[in-house]
Parts: sequence; C-alpha cells; structure tokens
Amino acid sequence: MLKRLLTASLALIGMFGLLGPVQAADTVKIGFSIPKTGLFAPAGPSQLNAYLVWQKMVNDKGGLDIGGKGRRKIEFVQYDDKSDPAQAVKIYEKLITSDKVDLVMAPWGTQHHFAIAPVVERHKFPLIGNTAASVALRKVKPGYLWFTTPMMPDNLAKEMTAMLKSRGVKSVAIMYNLLQFASENIQFLKPALAKAGIAVKFEAKYPPDIKDMTGMLTKIKGANPDAVLVHSYPGDSILYMNQAREVGINAKTQYVMVGPAIGFFRGMFKSNLDGIVTMAAWTPGLKNTTGSQEFYNAYKAMFKGHEPDYLDSVEVFVSAQILEQAIAKVGLNREKIRQAVNSMTFDTIYGKIKFNGVQNSVTPAGFAQIQKGKIEVVWPKQRATSAVVDKGAWAK
Amino acid sequence: MDILLSPQLLAAALITGVLYALISLGLNLIYGTMRLLNVAHGDLVMIGAYIAFIVFSLFNVGPLISMVGAAIICGGLGWLAYKSIFQNLLSNSEILARLEENSLLLFFGISVVVQNLVILFFTADRQGYEYLSAIVEIGDVRLTGARLAVLIVGSLISIAAVLYLRFSLFGLAMNALIQNRDASAVVGINVDRVQMFSLIIGFGITGLAGALISVLEPITPVMGFPYTMSAFVVIILGGLGNLWGGFLAGLLLGFLEIFGVAVTGPEWRSVLVYGIFIGILIFRPQGLLGRGRVAR
Repeated sequence: MLKRLLTASLALIGMFGLLGPVQAADTVKIGFSIPKTGLFAPAGPSQLNAYLVWQKMVNDKGGLDIGGKGRRKIEFVQYDDKSDPAQAVKIYEKLITSDKVDLVMAPWGTQHHFAIAPVVERHKFPLIGNTAASVALRKVKPGYLWFTTPMMPDNLAKEMTAMLKSRGVKSVAIMYNLLQFASENIQFLKPALAKAGIAVKFEAKYPPDIKDMTGMLTKIKGANPDAVLVHSYPGDSILYMNQAREVGINAKTQYVMVGPAIGFFRGMFKSNLDGIVTMAAWTPGLKNTTGSQEFYNAYKAMFKGHEPDYLDSVEVFVSAQILEQAIAKVGLNREKIRQAVNSMTFDTIYGKIKFNGVQNSVTPAGFAQIQKGKIEVVWPKQRATSAVVDKGAWAK
Repeated sequence: MDILLSPQLLAAALITGVLYALISLGLNLIYGTMRLLNVAHGDLVMIGAYIAFIVFSLFNVGPLISMVGAAIICGGLGWLAYKSIFQNLLSNSEILARLEENSLLLFFGISVVVQNLVILFFTADRQGYEYLSAIVEIGDVRLTGARLAVLIVGSLISIAAVLYLRFSLFGLAMNALIQNRDASAVVGINVDRVQMFSLIIGFGITGLAGALISVLEPITPVMGFPYTMSAFVVIILGGLGNLWGGFLAGLLLGFLEIFGVAVTGPEWRSVLVYGIFIGILIFRPQGLLGRGRVAR
C-alpha cells in the first residue's frame, strides 16, 4: 500500500513537473498563423524568422515588460494556414477561443489581413499588421487593426516620380506582374508620371507564371527609355535580371520591385545587382532608428549568417516592437493596448511611428539601391544613407 | 513585326521549348507504359533542384555535374516507388483497371508528403545560387552561360533519350508496352522489368531537368506545380505516350509562348497556350503525332 501511494505521489509530482513550464501564468501566449505550406510558403520564413528573432531578443532580457510590473517571457502558438485566408480565419478563432492566447500577431499578406479583420474586431484583440499593403486597407474601420507598412501604392507612385525627376528621367518603360499589389502600383504611377511630364515609352503587364521576358525586353531596348521600372516578385525579378543582361538593357535607372532586398537573390546575382533600385526603406545603418543594428545582428546570429529580408522581415519586427512598447506602457489589458497603439509614438527600426487611423502616418515610402553589394536607402533624401547612383554596365 | 526575326527571341524559344520537352519526357514515359497520372511530376523537378543547390552549397560543384547525382537519386526514388507501391498494384488486374484514375489521387498524396518533407528539412525559404552567369555571345545572340548550358544539355539529353527509346532493344520494348501491354507480355517482353525501368528513367530524367532549372529560378518546395501543368499540356499535345510527339510538342509550346507573346503581349500567354491546347483536343484528340486511341 505504502509503495503504491509513493508511486502515485511520484507520478503526480512528475505530472506537475511536466506541466509546470506549459502553464501560461508566467508566459505571455501570443498566437499567429503562418503560411508554412501552399502558394505563399516561400514568403513565410521572412515573417516567421523575424517573429522568432524578436521572441529571442525579448526573452533574453527576461521577457516582455508588463506595464512596469515585472517581466514575462513570450510563448508562441503558431499554426500553418496553408496559404489559405479561410484557414487563417479558423486559426485566429481557435487561438482566441480555444487556445486562450493573450494576444495575436499578424498573418502573412494583405488577403489574410482582410480575412481575419472581423475575427479580431469581434473578439476585441488588437493586431498590428505587417506584410500587407493596399490602399484598400485604409477603408478598414479604425478599431483593433493597424498597418505598419509605408509602402502604400499611392505613396510609392509619388516618391518614385519624385526620384525619377530628381535624376532627370524623361521617359520610362514599365513592366508589371498582374498580381494585385503590382497592378495597384501602376494604377497610381501612370497618372503621377503624366503629371510630372515623364513619358511612358513602353508598357506591358504579364501573368505571374511568366517563363520568359525576351520579347518585352527586346521592345524596351528598341524604345531606349531613361528608366526601366519592373513591378515584379522574386520569380519574375530573376527572369528580368538574367534576360535584361542578355538583351542588353542599359538604362541608368532600373527598378526591380521585390527580390533584391532578399538574401537569396543577392546570392544569385552578386555584383550584377549593383545599381538596381528596389522597394525597401531600411538598412542596418539607418539613422534615428531604435534597435536596427541589434535586430540585424540577432537575425544573422540566429539564422547562420543569413541577412533578414529588408522589406518583410523589417516590417514584421517593427510591428513586434510596437506591440512590445504598448505592453510595456499599459500591460496586457487588450482595451488599454488598443488605446495605447492609437495614441503613442513608437521607437522602431523604421524610426518613430505614430498611427493616424489604421495607418502608419510617419514613415515615408522609399527605395533602396544595391551599392557595392550593400543595400543603401536612397530615397526619400531625408532618410537616405547614400545618394542614388547610375546603374553601371552589367558584369560580363 | 521585325521582332519575329530576332535571333535572341529564337534562342529564348528554343530554351523554353527544350525545357518543356525534357520535363515532359519522364511524365510521358510513365503514363505511356503504366497509365500512371503522375501529378507529383513537378516535385521531382523540385527535388532535382534542391540536390543541385545542396551540392553547390556544400562542395561548390555546379549543376552540370550534380545533375548526374540528381538523376541517380530521383531514379532511385522511382525504383523505390515501383517496388513499394506500384509493382503490386500493376500486377493485380482488378486494381489495374482502375489504376489510371486512382494514381492521380495517389500521386497527389505523394506530392503533399514530399513538399512537406522538404519544408521540414529545408524550410520553405527561397534558395538560389550564382552559376555560369557570364554572358556568352554567339553572333547576335547573347545568353548567360547557365541558359546556354540548359539549351545544349537539355537538347542533347532530350534527343538522346528519344532516340534511345525509339531504336534500342529496351526502348522498343517500352514502345511495345506503350502500344499494347497485353500483347507485349505475349511476345515475351518482361513487362515488370520494363515498367520498373520506365519509372526509374522517367524520374531520373525529371530530376536531371530540375538540377538544370535550379540556376534559372528560385528554388522552393512549391516550385514544381507549374511544371506538372506544362508537362501535362505537352504530353497531351504530342499524343499521350508518344515520346517523339511530346518532344516536338515541347518545342512547339516554347515557340508559341515566346513568339506568340512577342506579337500579342504577355497577358495573352495563357489564352494562346491553353487555346491551342483546347483546339488540339477538339480537332485532334489523339495529339499532334498520336495515331488514334492508345490501347492498353
């Protein structure tokens, strides 16, 4: 009998010992969905890695500061949304109602943000968006959702036109992927160019599964524009980089929208990327920011020397910094967090951020350029770490 | 219209066409000999690309050499798939009667498992590397060394494979199986052996194509699906099980895509490709070089 009691007691102690670390009392449970499989899976790591870096950085200093009343470590609850917005909706419902997370963080992409907006609104869970960009986001009713991105298509069009004017560009060729964000950019870019007196000598849209650009590029070479603006995603950006060299596109300004800011891309093209302008507004050396170099170093240390994606990973980390600072101010009360996000000014790796309605009203849309293998912010001028330079000749 | 005379465009069409031909070859072989609808075909391209990437990252050895390893490993996977799954299924006449439809579901499951395994081991992050990036000039044509290599190696392997399968004894046995499975067994062809080697060669060639493609686009676990689609279009255009027809259809698709798009615009690509595809299905359902219905 005594032996049985002892065994049962040991088993109970063992159970509590096992359950102890999982109990949420001393951690802050934060949930999110991530596209680990499906169409958007290749984009997922840029987001997930930045979340993981933030978690490690915060936990290494003892955890989140909960309104000045002690620290609690971050525990993530994450599920694969299979790149499906409908799946993301179910996941956020589960995170909130079943997993009982304390807070949620953003899923990947504009569509997913739109899909889960009603869920976070209904349950009154504040969510700082990232990796979502569309002017349609401004139509989201101010409430529990905010968007950190400065890369809104209308702002990008304005800044692109200003940059081209500053470089004396008189004519451009435009190619764009038919996917939503690229198409939306063109919708704003063309009127802005026309207003600035910049001629569009060539324009073509292409499907996302394009396998060759030789025809378009041959026509662009014939048109001989001052600048070539390619609104592309990583796969088609690679096509452009290879085939523009083959055809001999030598415009002094060449813009490749998504790709050059991602590490693998720079590994593929090395010195041939020098002079290419891309969509990004951050670099580790950016002045008047908070934690840029620390984030960069922590990312490289955590992911075997790989650099963060200068666009998505950066935006994700910014959203995490905002959440962290709101919690430090008001604790974990979600209603108070909502009020804090609406009213506070945040110190981030993008610099100071304040929201006007749902939108980041401080950080300007901007561009970076690869210069001698490094990414430099070149536009707008007040944020630039280097001046924009001519794209030199392609390497042989 | 001057653009249609551009040698640069001709080279681009050849590269695209040769890639389509090479990728569809394995699918055609497997469908022809066993009536297996391999919707995981593109995942073999992906595996080949990852093998080339890993070999380059670890040993700095390019895909022109690692493609041999990719072919052997993917061929080995073909052998494994045959021994563990298809040998039994193909030897059971009741299952065989429904295998064509069921294989689609089976390969779909295999595709999901393979993609998830790759994500598990390598994450879904995009990968890429620089290889033969220098521009080579041949007359008025300028190509990166990598694209030129793809053109040359892809052409040689496609043509060699089609010729081998058309004129060698083993190739003739495969052709016999493609034309009539039962009659092949009657005339003494070792059907089991031919089926096994069809799967090995089919998987191997596709893995090799993947190694070549690894220098042209980002390597991701989901990169294979568009190639599965293209390969199906090519083999249906060329005539199911018709290897020579598949090769020509691959080239035709490449030319249609490059020159058609140059004339009409890239947004018309899908309309052109699938329009021709549907047209052929309506007016010549046996494919360009098919000779009526292929009997089992």
